[in-house]
Amino acid sequence: MTTVAAQVKKLTMIQAITDAMKTMMKEDDSVLILGEDVGINGGVFRATEGLIEEFGDERVVDTPLAESGIVGTSVGLAVNGFKPICEMQFFGFIYPAFNQLITHATRMRQRSLGRYTVPMVIRAPYGAGVKAPEIHSDSVEALFTHIPGLKVVTPSNPYDAKGLLIASIEDPDPVLFIEPMRCYRTGRTQVPDEKYAVELGKAATVKEGTDVTILTWGAMVQDTVKAVEKWEAGKDASCEIIDLRTLYPLDKETIRKSVEKTGRAVVVHEAPETGGVSGDVISLINDAAFFYLKAPVQKVTGFDTPVPVYSLELDYLPSAQKIIHAVEQTLQY
Amino acid sequence: MEVKLHDIGEGMHEAEILHYFVEPGQNVKNDEPLVEIQTDKMTAELTAPADGVVEELRFHIGDVVEVGTTILSLRTDDYEETQTMIVQREQKQPMKTGASSTSTKPYNNENPHKRVQASPHTRRVAREQGVNIEEVTGSGPSGRITDEDIYQFLKAPSKPVSEKSTEEAQPKEQEERKFVPFRGRRKQIAKKMVKSLHTAPHVTHFDEVMMSDLLDLKQQLKQEGTSISVAAFFIKAIQMSLEEHAIFNSKLNEEQERIELEPHFNIGLATDTEEGLIVPVIKNVEDKSIELIHKEMKELTAKAKENQLSAKELSGGTFTMSNVGPLGSTGATPILNYPETGLIAFHKTKRMPVVVNEEIVIRDVMNISFIFDHRVADGAKAATFVNRFIDYIHHPSKMLVKLV
Repeated sequence: MTTVAAQVKKLTMIQAITDAMKTMMKEDDSVLILGEDVGINGGVFRATEGLIEEFGDERVVDTPLAESGIVGTSVGLAVNGFKPICEMQFFGFIYPAFNQLITHATRMRQRSLGRYTVPMVIRAPYGAGVKAPEIHSDSVEALFTHIPGLKVVTPSNPYDAKGLLIASIEDPDPVLFIEPMRCYRTGRTQVPDEKYAVELGKAATVKEGTDVTILTWGAMVQDTVKAVEKWEAGKDASCEIIDLRTLYPLDKETIRKSVEKTGRAVVVHEAPETGGVSGDVISLINDAAFFYLKAPVQKVTGFDTPVPVYSLELDYLPSAQKIIHAVEQTLQY
Repeated sequence: MEVKLHDIGEGMHEAEILHYFVEPGQNVKNDEPLVEIQTDKMTAELTAPADGVVEELRFHIGDVVEVGTTILSLRTDDYEETQTMIVQREQKQPMKTGASSTSTKPYNNENPHKRVQASPHTRRVAREQGVNIEEVTGSGPSGRITDEDIYQFLKAPSKPVSEKSTEEAQPKEQEERKFVPFRGRRKQIAKKMVKSLHTAPHVTHFDEVMMSDLLDLKQQLKQEGTSISVAAFFIKAIQMSLEEHAIFNSKLNEEQERIELEPHFNIGLATDTEEGLIVPVIKNVEDKSIELIHKEMKELTAKAKENQLSAKELSGGTFTMSNVGPLGSTGATPILNYPETGLIAFHKTKRMPVVVNEEIVIRDVMNISFIFDHRVADGAKAATFVNRFIDYIHHPSKMLVKLV
């Protein structure tokens, strides 16, 4: 009994993320953490809690309030053999570091003809639904999936969070690891104690189904599962739900196979519609599974506005009703 | 300057070159005829868009040319004017490909092919099953073809098999088979018939009419020096009956959800020609005397035989008459001249014994087939309409009192 308990714990997503960093720091001395309040304070969401006590302030570094400095320093460290994990307090705070990411982090491999890579991870909490102030809730993953050389990863549950973060830390190239805030403490799943990786670039089939493929990620995965399970009761049709997990590069094979099977697809994300990752997913479906489509691919997204004030946040997010409406539209086409 | 085949009416998409009026090097004046073409329905002349010298004839006589293709080129003196005209033409038809290439198909909106609505998945199913999707009728929303429709189509007895299996099915000794080209008017007729039969539920109502009184009248007029065909009386009687039963002089507009009653009575005459059936139209029959109808009918049928009908003479019909009697037949179930609602066909007049006033007498009896769109009207209405027509033919004098 004790042995089993020692191998698997029930963790929240934030605990799983801490666990992943701890696991990697224990194993590899070159892994270090930089960010605002990540040391003594343990991070704004307590993701780095206890790490400064265990690994010291040379490996868990409290930085000044300067995101461009955090990312810029990390690029230098990464090129010189370290594996920095930097924390943005909120995804919306990454804008000052945009330049460092695009002009340095993502170009180093190409500029040095493969001699240098930048093995760094940028963690950033994102997404609406927790009623945070302005800029704190943005879902701007599409700004980054457009940048060649930058992997964009987002977990939707504690198990994936640990496995994907470990894989991101071990990846030789820069990875933007965005964490849906809404999922941080909304549930616990079994997370192995040991080190394990969830491969980047691979989507997960959360639920099998035969008639419509719903493609989504982040916090919308749980919302979609709930909406669909309620709807499916008493219906002949069933939905297959795919958690994309890595938004760049997309898992073409999983998407293709599922859409070939169901012949219909709906993409759900909370980010604004225009220029969203849904566009890429739909284009990929067109390229890979066009002759299997029985209906045009639908998308359910946030609005083309900044995330509104907290009292309107729930109206901004795609509701269960909207998701089901899209599913029914594509089925009735 | 390039002289292209343009759409001269009713969404034609190709035409055959019949005759050139000019040859390379010849001077032509604006509006002078250059070439004569034959479409599915008529012959027409294309005229010079400007003064100039003929440079090149791009096709041989007998070639079939698609709309948008350059038939011949002219060298004009006013270069600038030429340029602007070309630009204007190109702006009108921006999708058209290189003017000089005859092999490339012009891609335009007048595409004659049926607009097929089907999801990519359904198209794939059709391709895999060897079904030409254009032949399938859709049962989905707004006529969309579904996977089911493809499978149903395959099950249908007259399924067109894929090319491959057709070849396999043909015995080898049949290599000397002869072919009749299926294009031009024949193809147009086929298309119209399929559309009509697939759209309107056809019902045929049969009856017979005694012709004796009308034939007597015709004979009497002839002796007085006025020769008027029986068909002219038919046309007038049809129009008069239609006036009382306007529902058969209409077309159904399903989109707008209404039956559109036509304000005029334009009777089409189904006419047999060398190239196939064609329907010239006598317009505003309500304003015309039987004598004038006779005259116009003769002109139109003569033109039809000579293939000289204009687009105007072939369009605008509201009801069609088919007079197959002279060729011999006692009954038929023709297909409506869609979107018209009614068509009446007349058959052979036979001398037969009939009972009149409890006595057997010999009369000239002709069978009538009246076809109508059952969406628009029902059998009872059709019967009263035909009865009215018969009444007029039995008593031609009743027509007289109604004439304007």
